[in-house]
Amino acid sequence: MKSSIVHGRLFFIVMLTAFLASCSRLPVIKPVDAAALQDTIQECRRPFLDIPYRFVHAIEVELSGRRTGTVVGVTVFEPASATIHSVVMTIEGFVLFDARYEKKVSVNRAVPPFNAEQFAGRMMEDVRLIFLAPDGRLSDAGVREDGSTACRYYGNEDRIEDVIVHRDNTWEIETYSNNYELIRKIRAFSVRDRIPAMVELTGFGFREYSLRLKLISAEPVSPETQPLRPEKAREEDE
Amino acid sequence: MDFMTKEGSIKRGLFLIGMLLSSAVMLGWAGNWDDIERESAKIKSVTAHFSQEKHLQILTKPLVSKGRFYFQAPDFVRWEYTSPVRSVLLMRKGDIKRYTMGSRGFVEESGGSLESMQIVLQEISRWSRGQFTGNEHFSATIKRGKGPTIILTPKEKGLSTMISRIVINLSPDRPGVIKSVKIVESEGNFTLFEFTDVQINGKISETLFREVG
Repeated sequence: MKSSIVHGRLFFIVMLTAFLASCSRLPVIKPVDAAALQDTIQECRRPFLDIPYRFVHAIEVELSGRRTGTVVGVTVFEPASATIHSVVMTIEGFVLFDARYEKKVSVNRAVPPFNAEQFAGRMMEDVRLIFLAPDGRLSDAGVREDGSTACRYYGNEDRIEDVIVHRDNTWEIETYSNNYELIRKIRAFSVRDRIPAMVELTGFGFREYSLRLKLISAEPVSPETQPLRPEKAREEDE
Repeated sequence: MDFMTKEGSIKRGLFLIGMLLSSAVMLGWAGNWDDIERESAKIKSVTAHFSQEKHLQILTKPLVSKGRFYFQAPDFVRWEYTSPVRSVLLMRKGDIKRYTMGSRGFVEESGGSLESMQIVLQEISRWSRGQFTGNEHFSATIKRGKGPTIILTPKEKGLSTMISRIVINLSPDRPGVIKSVKIVESEGNFTLFEFTDVQINGKISETLFREVG
């Protein structure tokens, strides 16, 4: 008897959760008047640098709330061509992952488990979310309930990307699935000259994870001196 | 052994580098393999500062890390980074732990396999005794010169996809001291370690191999 009550409750909770999930709603973005629209859209571009840049971060990795390690990430991106080159290595300098994104992902090096199927695509998508402005269709621009500036873009596979810029210069990016479930949340802290000292990315879903990117260095990159396309480099050994 | 089959292969590769550096600092003056083995046997402890330069094609200037290294025979090692990311690798009587400073202070890292740790210890033990020849993973050659150079090349295809070669430059005039270690992963991708303030056979507090802080 008691067992059937417990099962009944469990069923109810599962159904309620499923019902609530199906009723997920996107956060409301209150439109601004036409005169303020361009400024609002421009404000939403603030998190994304306009020129090629190189970032080096110490990245703390957490899986399901448990910290698993720290790696070093080097990211070079070129906004005009939406190109990214990303390298992840151990603190000792051992390269675990090296890939480029230019319309599609090409992996130069991936050491297990970084060579897992779909890992490269998802990883580069996370990097793209942080560094490159959304390339989807702008559907809303305005303010959120808390007064933050917000823009909503519809991208590939019906992914929805919200860019939220707060009054204190910090910013957030949220992506949602086509049934409005939150998939990624990025928060930038201690922003100075548009460059955050800390970025936190959380991935939701079957296996929750978070990456905390602590800035080591950021510098503009000249395309002439820093080609994003791989080149053979000469090196002297001994 | 296939280095690319299990999740632990990262740690394995990582620790191979770590143990290489550990043993490299301890190398004796290299006239030949017998010299190395004989001189290495005299070394009971080592302390040193190190700088690590990571060279990558997408970096216009290398990423520099700094730290300290401690070794106490037969198998106590502390490999500590002080910048830009604070991290401590402790090896103590067959037990290896790694801690990294993060937002919540020093935290022990998870994910390493016992197998990789055991391999590390075996290799450290072998190389710290100057036993490079007959190594399971690397072939070793000596280039004689003013400062002798040891070049290690992977024997296995799996490992060679991760490490192309390792070049160890020894001090020409100070037995037991090395100048640098260069780990070449691929073209344009290498790590250069340089050692300074190397002290041989000094007293090292036992707590350094037990406590992180």
